[in-house]
Amino acid sequence: MIGFDVVGFLVSWLTLFGIYSILSISLNVESGVAGITNFGKVVFYGIGAYMSAAITTYLILILNGVDVDKTPPYNVNGVILLGQLGNKDPLLNLGLLVLSLILAFVIAGLVGYLLTYPILRVGPAFVGFTLLSSGELLRIFLLHYEPVGASKGLMAIPTPFGWMPDSRARDIAYLGLVLGFLALTYVITNKLVNSPLGRTLKAVRDDEIAALCLGKHVPRIKATILFTGSGFTGVAGVLLAYYLTSVNPNMFVPAVTFNAWAMIILGGFGNLRGSLLGAAVITFVDRVLTFVTPYLGVTVISPDYLRWVIVGLLIVVVLLVNPKGLLPERPIKTPATKEVWKELQGEASEQRS
Amino acid sequence: MSNVLEVRDVAKYFGGVRALDGVSLSVPEKGLIGLIGPNGSGKTTLFNVITGFYVPDKGSVWFKESEDMVRIDGLNPNEVFRRGIVRTFQIPRLFNSLTVLENLLVTPPGQKGESITKALFIKSWSDEEREFARRAINLLRLFGMSRYVDSKIYELSAAHIKMLETMRGLMTPAKLYLLDEPAAGVDYPVARELFTYVRRLREEQELTFLIIEHRLEILMEFVDYVYVLHNGKLLSEGRPQEVISDPKVIEAYIGV
Repeated sequence: MIGFDVVGFLVSWLTLFGIYSILSISLNVESGVAGITNFGKVVFYGIGAYMSAAITTYLILILNGVDVDKTPPYNVNGVILLGQLGNKDPLLNLGLLVLSLILAFVIAGLVGYLLTYPILRVGPAFVGFTLLSSGELLRIFLLHYEPVGASKGLMAIPTPFGWMPDSRARDIAYLGLVLGFLALTYVITNKLVNSPLGRTLKAVRDDEIAALCLGKHVPRIKATILFTGSGFTGVAGVLLAYYLTSVNPNMFVPAVTFNAWAMIILGGFGNLRGSLLGAAVITFVDRVLTFVTPYLGVTVISPDYLRWVIVGLLIVVVLLVNPKGLLPERPIKTPATKEVWKELQGEASEQRS
Repeated sequence: MSNVLEVRDVAKYFGGVRALDGVSLSVPEKGLIGLIGPNGSGKTTLFNVITGFYVPDKGSVWFKESEDMVRIDGLNPNEVFRRGIVRTFQIPRLFNSLTVLENLLVTPPGQKGESITKALFIKSWSDEEREFARRAINLLRLFGMSRYVDSKIYELSAAHIKMLETMRGLMTPAKLYLLDEPAAGVDYPVARELFTYVRRLREEQELTFLIIEHRLEILMEFVDYVYVLHNGKLLSEGRPQEVISDPKVIEAYIGV
């Protein structure tokens, strides 16, 4: 194992961890806390990724005076031009990042809102199936939609830090960006969950009918949560596209959704820190396999399949030991609950003395 | 005194079963009214009709809303709830993965912190939540359940679950409370505490209660008027003493 690039490994692991954590945290809010069977996470991820890829490649070419009708970004000349023109102007690249993030959040969020609002009136399994098939519909649409490169996808996407000369510095700057967004996502979702809203979401998850009888606006609450969750997923998609610098339809298969599900089942359903832990473990396995593969030479089983075997095994073992995942769900903490707890605990000790 | 709820000639059939067969009753403002009857006499069905779970086959239900009686039969449960009628269930439907305290705190409708934008700013909802927490603590103490504040529902006994269901009803601001067997399975002193509390609420906050109860020895002590249902029909009504000595009621209960 001579020459194993520890820093390179850590940077790539943490970047993927950051991107996947945003995915798993938002899924945990939607499915773990609010009980919406979201099997269509990949829809919003794909929308975010393609949104940023298309905006960045087209705008860079257009702003540099290239006629995109003649040389669109997805053909060979376009890709070459992108490589030459893409990384000159830091302000432009960062501006495109901001634009992509905003648009991805809003559009992915709106799609989530529209897609689920009508189907929330049916049972949870149907919500799952509808979202699952929406993901496949999106993939097949992208596979045949020429302006985003159809089956080839879009390549050589100029990255926000592409203008930095040193590739290690570029990767570390990008890692910082991803972790920044992860922190933002975590802080916001954590606030949402640890509030009366989070409590109501859990109540709806436990017994929708009873929640309706208590006057909760169940469909509206679910639709807003899907708007927010899908928006964050769109952001994760943007970060993925810039990280890989290319997008193609086959990146957005249902397995992506189930990977995120594996993370929250492993980490802890309804526990946001659990989704971080789950994402860390699964992306770690993934990265280790990717880094180790070149040293293995010819293997009996492709590491690509081995990944799923290991993830499956991990889930089975963890659930056997602790059926609620590594970090089980905890009661919601708000200022009032802390005070009540203190007060009633004081009372209990008075009774004892 | 004007009525807050009027049930007019309501009938509800399930196939050939006449669960309710032309029942009329009225609940006056600030009333503490009992609804009794043998098993299967239609008490819970009547609650279901009033709260919108069933649409009556005949007759109508009227509820007082700012001085006028408004017809509420046919509205869905959610709408009935928002007009100010809260009910508890004979078989409690609690939120099983939440703690006792959370079950109480989640109950009040239209909380500020339930809005996604306000949920982000603790200051905008924490005062309101403290008020709910106050009420929850008072109820927990009243029912002697403060020890169980952090328990999950599956850790509770049947009596505690029953009490929690009633407490949850009382957490909700409403004009009219329909309590379905609040004392069932609850030991005698606590059941008396419960009814004392209900009576106090009625006097202090001008609330109205309609209570189904099988434990007549407690009920009769507290209510000021009683309706008796039997086979979907109103068998008798009156002050507790009159009803309890009514031969028809005795016959229905003993089941001759």
